[in-house]
Order: sequence, then C-alpha cells, then structure tokens
Amino acid sequence: MTSNSFFKREKSKNKIIQNSKEESDDFTPKLFLKLDENLQKIQEMLDNPGDLIIRKFTIGLINHSCAVVYLDGLIDKLLINDQIIKNIQIESTKSEESLSDDPVYIVDQLYDKYISSGEVEKTTSWDDILYAILSGDTALYVDGTNQVLTIGSKGWESRSIEEPVTEAVIRGPREGFIESLRTNTMLIRRSIRDQNLRFKSYKIGRRTKKDLVLIYIDKIVNPNIVEEVNKRIQSIDIDSALESGHIEQWIEDDFLSPFPQIDHTERPDKVVGALLEGKVAILLDGTPFALIAPMTFGNTLQSQEDYYERWLVGSLIRVLRYLAAFIAVFLPSIYIALESYHPGMIPSKLAFSIAATREGVPFPVFVEALLMETTMELLREAGIRLPKPIGQTIGIVGGLVIGEAAVSAGIVSPVMVIIVAITAISSFAIPSYSTALSFRIIRFAFMGAAAVFGLYGVILAYIVINIHLVNLKSIGVPYTSPFAPGFTKDWKDLILRFPIPMLTKRPKHLQPENLTRGDMNKGGNSS
Amino acid sequence: MKTFEYEKGEINEKEIVYLAASYPIAVGVLSIPRTLGRVTNFFDGWVCLVVTGIFCIFVTGVSAKLASYFPGQTFFKYASTICSKPVALILTIYGTIYFIATTSFQTRFVAIITKQYLLFKTPVEIISLVFLFVIVYAVAGSRIGLIRLNLLFFPITILVALFVLAMNIPNFEFENLSPFFTTSWEGYWKGSKESFFTLSGSEILLFYVAYIKKTEKTSKYAMIGAGIPAIIYLMIYTTAIGVFNSQTAGMLVYPTIELAKEAEVPGSFFGRIESLFFTIWIMAIFNTASLALDIVLISLSSIFHKTKKITFIIFLTPIIYFIAMFPVNSIRVSLMGQFLSYMSFGLGVVVPVFLLIIAKVRGIKGNA
Repeated sequence: MTSNSFFKREKSKNKIIQNSKEESDDFTPKLFLKLDENLQKIQEMLDNPGDLIIRKFTIGLINHSCAVVYLDGLIDKLLINDQIIKNIQIESTKSEESLSDDPVYIVDQLYDKYISSGEVEKTTSWDDILYAILSGDTALYVDGTNQVLTIGSKGWESRSIEEPVTEAVIRGPREGFIESLRTNTMLIRRSIRDQNLRFKSYKIGRRTKKDLVLIYIDKIVNPNIVEEVNKRIQSIDIDSALESGHIEQWIEDDFLSPFPQIDHTERPDKVVGALLEGKVAILLDGTPFALIAPMTFGNTLQSQEDYYERWLVGSLIRVLRYLAAFIAVFLPSIYIALESYHPGMIPSKLAFSIAATREGVPFPVFVEALLMETTMELLREAGIRLPKPIGQTIGIVGGLVIGEAAVSAGIVSPVMVIIVAITAISSFAIPSYSTALSFRIIRFAFMGAAAVFGLYGVILAYIVINIHLVNLKSIGVPYTSPFAPGFTKDWKDLILRFPIPMLTKRPKHLQPENLTRGDMNKGGNSS
Repeated sequence: MKTFEYEKGEINEKEIVYLAASYPIAVGVLSIPRTLGRVTNFFDGWVCLVVTGIFCIFVTGVSAKLASYFPGQTFFKYASTICSKPVALILTIYGTIYFIATTSFQTRFVAIITKQYLLFKTPVEIISLVFLFVIVYAVAGSRIGLIRLNLLFFPITILVALFVLAMNIPNFEFENLSPFFTTSWEGYWKGSKESFFTLSGSEILLFYVAYIKKTEKTSKYAMIGAGIPAIIYLMIYTTAIGVFNSQTAGMLVYPTIELAKEAEVPGSFFGRIESLFFTIWIMAIFNTASLALDIVLISLSSIFHKTKKITFIIFLTPIIYFIAMFPVNSIRVSLMGQFLSYMSFGLGVVVPVFLLIIAKVRGIKGNA
C-alpha cells in the first residue's frame, strides 16, 4: 500500500492543524454581555446576509430581552415558532416560579425547563455558535450573559426516499439513500437492531465541515479495518468534500490503479449486507452514495439481488456476469488479434464471410475497432448528459443510424459493429458502474496490445493486469482474495452463490471477529 | 498499518503445493513426448516418468525437510551453518547463476515457440524483450503477490491442458501403446534422465523456505505439489503416444502443442486450438520464469543485505536478456537447456542430499 504518501499526508495535516490553531488563536473574540452587541457582532461576522433572521423578544414578567438567530431555509420554522419562541414566552410568564433576575440563571432555567427540544447545548464560543447557525441550528441569546444556547432545529427541503436510479433491482427493497445524512443513518439503524452497531462521526472539509459517519458492527468487523479506515479518514484535509467520491479517492490504497478499491452504493440493503459481512461503510452528508470498504475483486461482479433470488438463479446470473466481464474486456482485442495476426484460428467458413464483409473497408482492424469503440464511448457519454427524452434519441441516432450508415458507407464492417455492440451490452451487464468504467479503460489497453503482438500481446496484458491485481489491496485486504490467497470456504459466495442456509459463515478473508452467522442444523431443520 | 494474519508475506501450506507444482511445468512439457519417444519404444516411456516422478517427489521431500530444519533462514544462512561460509557462498552463487540462466532460457524459449505458432514476422528479440519486461514487472511487486499469481494461473493452465487431452479422446488409439517393455535398459536410463530434467523443481524450495510459514507439514505439501506435474506429464505423454504413436511423437518438435492441433472442438468456434493452447501456456512459462527470477533476487539479497531490490532488477535485466539472446539458433538453445539440466541435477539433488547428510552427521538442527 502507499503508506509513504499516507505518512506525508499525515505530517502535512499536523502542520496545517497547528497553523489553523495559530490563526484561530489570533482572533477568538469573546462573547459580549450585552445582547445588542452580540447581535451586531454576528451580523458583522456573516456580513449581514439576507437569510439571517434575528428575532428579538422578551420573556417572563420582567420582560427580559432575548433573541433567536437562525438562517432562513435551513431550519424547521414550525419548530422554532412552536417549540422555542412560543414555549419560552408562554411558559416563562405562566410559570409559577418567576424568572430569576440573574441572567446566567435565566439561561439555566431556559435550558432546564422551558425549551422543549432534544438537542440543546450551552456554549460561550463564537465558533460553536457560528457552526450551529450555519448548519441549521438556532442560537438563543439572552441579554446580560455570555452564555448562548444552541438549539437543534435543522429542517430543510430534501428529496423523499426513492428507488435508486443507478442500481435498479427486480426483486428487493425499493429504498435508496438520499442526500440527507440523518435519513440515511435512519435507514441503516432501522435494519440492524444490534447494540453493537457503531456510528462514528467526523467533520470533513475545512470550509464545508460536512458530517461523515463511519458505520460498522463492533464484535463482527475486524478492528484493524476500523482502525485503518479511521486513521485514513482523520488524515483527510481538504476544504470541501462534495461527494463521497472525494473521500473514496482520499482514502483508497492506490490511486494509480484503474480498479476501484472502495465500493459505493445507493442501496441501504447492500450496506447492511456488507456490514454484516464484516465491512465498514462510510456515509457523507449531501450525497446518496455510501462507501463500502474493503472491496475485493469478487465484489465487483456481485449484486445484492443475487441473494434475493433463489440460489440457482443467483449463481447462474453471477456466472453470466463473469462471462460478460470477459467479453467486455477481451472481445475486441481477441477479434483484432485473430483478424490481423492469426486468421487461421478462425474457422474457415467464418473467416471467408468475415473477409467478404471486410472487403472495401479502408482501415486495418485495429483502427476500425478504435473508431467504433470511440464512437460507442461518445454515444454512451452523450446519452448520460442529455435529458432523458433526448437521451433515447441519441440511442436511436447512434445505434441505428451511425451503425447502419457506417457499414453501408464502407467505413466499418458489419462484424465490427456486432463485436462493438456485444461488448457494450456486456459492459452494461456489470452491476458496479465504477468497475464497468475500469473495464472500459482496460479494454483499450488490451486492444493496443492485440494490435502490436496479437494473442501474445493479449495474454501478456492479461498477465500484467493480474500482477497489478495481486499487488493491490483495499484497506489492507488483498484485492484478489478469496481467489488468491485462497479461502476455499469463501468460494461458496463468490462465482456461485450457495443456498442461503449453507452460507453460515462470514467471509473469512475479511477476518471478522465473529465468524458464525447462523446454524444450518438448528431448530429441527436438519436433514 | 496493521496487517492481517495472512498478510505478513508468509507462504502457507496450500501455496507450497502450488509453488512446487507450477515451477516444473513450463516448456519441458511441450516436448516431453518427443524426448521420450526418441529413446523408448512404444509406450515404455511411462516407466521413466513414473520412476523419475517418484524420485522427484522424494528429492523434493528431502529439500523441504532440509529447509524446514531452518525456518525463516535464507539458503545462504543455513548453508553457512551446515558447511562453512565460503562453501555456502559458492553454492549460493551457483544457484544464482542457475536461476538467471533458467530465466533466460524460458524467455528465449517463449520467443521461439511464439514465433513458430503465434507471431511469424515479429523478431525473436522483441518477443523475448516484452516477455522479460512482464517478468520484471512481476518480481518488482511483492513476493507473496508473485506466489499468488501461481495460485491464479496454475488452475487455468491445468484446465486448458486437461481440455486438450479430453478433446483428443476420439483420436486415441490403443494399438499405439502395445507391445510393452520392449525398450533396452539404456533407453530407460536415457528416458529417465530426460524426464528428470523437466520434472525436477525441488531446487526452488531450498530458497523459498525462508518465507514459508513454519509448519510441520511443509515437506508433505511440497511432495504433493511435486506429484502433480508427474501426473500431468504422464497424462500428456500417454495421450501423445496414443494419438501419434511413438515414432511420430519422436519426430514432432512440440508434440504437446501438436496434440492441441489434433483436438476437435465441438461447435467449431475456433480452428487451430494449438495457438490458443500455447497462448494460455505462456502463463505457465511465465510462472516458472518469474519464480526463477525471484529466487535470483532472494539469493542475491541474502548475500548483499543492503542493496535494494530494484537495483538488482535494473542490474539483472540486461544480463538475462543478453544470456537469452546468446545462443544463435534453436539448436544452441537446446544445448543450453541440456547444460541447465545438469546444473539443476547438482542444485536439486546433490546439494540438498549432501547438506542434509552433513547436517545429520554434524548434528546441526538449526533452530527448529
């Protein structure tokens, strides 16, 4: 693994922390005792934005002045009006015990009695107040004291829970993660009612200060994995993490590799499945994509749905995916190799018909393949970017018109169109999008190797990819496990998916603390 | 970072099996029916294969036994304990030269056969250079990763070999096998000698043992591993004689590849299976060559402790390439192969047996 670069990162991180401490030491203004000064200060600090709401009011019979400060749009208005302002005003006047004269004591009274909200904290630091306000909480200032109450009042518009677009399944839960972290953690909590389920929170990004949660099940996961992921997350130092992709790329083992070393998903059931296998998940606020680590090569061709269908179906579909992966990577290169170096290997009848269709094509096979593959990539990219209704048009224009026209114009042969089409279909059959992407990259490398050295080049390129894979790790777990190092017991759930009652052990290559999932012979089910 | 228990870079028992099995299977298997067909009559070569197979298993057991007396020690170190440092140094250098030459030999051989079956116009120099680069890339990675490559590739190559054999069942003629036992003693002797040279792989255990997880069963697993190539060779030889008869097999340059040519694949999706077979077989040759180069690195770093691995690699690559290109034609390459065979007898049989005897006599037990 790239431990070197990690140490460097950590070192530089320490330095930065020192720097920022020094900076913050320079100007940590104290809170004023007077309410108006405090309010003026906060307006200054945020440069008096339009969405900053300051509502002054008085409480109690003594008309002590207070103010709530919040950012419009980030808060739940109903909650602020009903639970905070209304409550304080009514309760403080109705209450038999009158409000104290001492402002500090008023704060305590508010905290203890009048604010009916779960998340309330006392603070005296501007940093905390600002962070609270900026993340959607409400600050309650009381005149005459430098203590401020921050009250949890987050509530903003968010998407409702929908079916994930990128990972559609025929059978399985239709829930997908959304952009709100709380909802996402709720989705996981709801599925695992285990006291050992752990949520570890971090704040990511110097400027964005986003919430990140590391999820794992204690006493199942190998503590080394948690420790390593924890270390790597803490080493993150960027000003913003917009998407979990930022996190993934920061903590992955080898950023030069074309293979994804951390899995991502929109599906809570997939995350839950991974947690129960002894993996860790990372959720970031503001993105529906959760990260799952460690990841091995076997995972790239598995879908959560494999477990929901009966085992025979699940197994056959997995075998089909391996075939799809093989075609997606090798087919164009094998065609190039056979056509330009080993035409004798094609059965003679087929060779004649291919030769007949290639008649009049002005380019060598490699150029022809490159042309069509590039067109295919362009179509795919264009199809993603365009709005959905037009996207279909691209499919028709690209697939039918260009393919048909290119053949009849004699630029490419029909066989090449078939090859490219099969390759494209196969690469869509790979469940993990990022793996499909890396296969796309590798495919071009194979095509180049085939163009220069024929089948010899293809096999050498295959060997090179394998050398790379056996040296690759994901959070310390070898990427090729459980193939090599061989964990034959884990093969029950690899290319084939054995019947669920037989999958009573967690994957051993993750070295979980607790290996047993269940017992096949328990409860009179024995056969 | 903390590593997993299986991630300490140690070779476990299963991996020893693959290691001992995949090292001998390389270019030798492509021509074994010819070498045996020349010196024995009809199907008598099986005697040679069985005898040498058992001998190889035995020698492998001896090597593994010797090495497991000194767990975690390099060859240079435990040889020094057994028989003084200068002798150990000579033995290590001898081994280094042998494995360098083996790497070169395999590299050259791949190029020769590739030129014959796959790339007719590309010069041998380029073909072997590319192959050498791939080997170098492999050894530049982690050692345990290299051994895992064996785990990945070995089953594929064996499956392909079995596939070719299965496809040849319709062509098999039992008349080609009999009569039995018509060969002279000299023929058996020559045949055994030839088959030993392709079957022996015990020498690698002497060097790899420093990285093997300490276990009681090392030699047992090594012997299982050494048995696999013997069985594969026997199967290929039997099929080759059954399909071609021994005279024809003795005339074909690479009878095993020609076997693939005879194979009829149902569905006729591919013609000329032999090119495909050899393409896959490159993986087996790669395993052998990369292990050999890795052992060169092991033994060199056991002598020069401080030098970095990459320095050795940069230094060795041109030498290996030069040696690979040194023989002018394929006859000379075969001559080089013969020469290597004798060296391998020294390293694989004489050295471990004598070291074991000396160790027993002098009562050195290592720290096992």
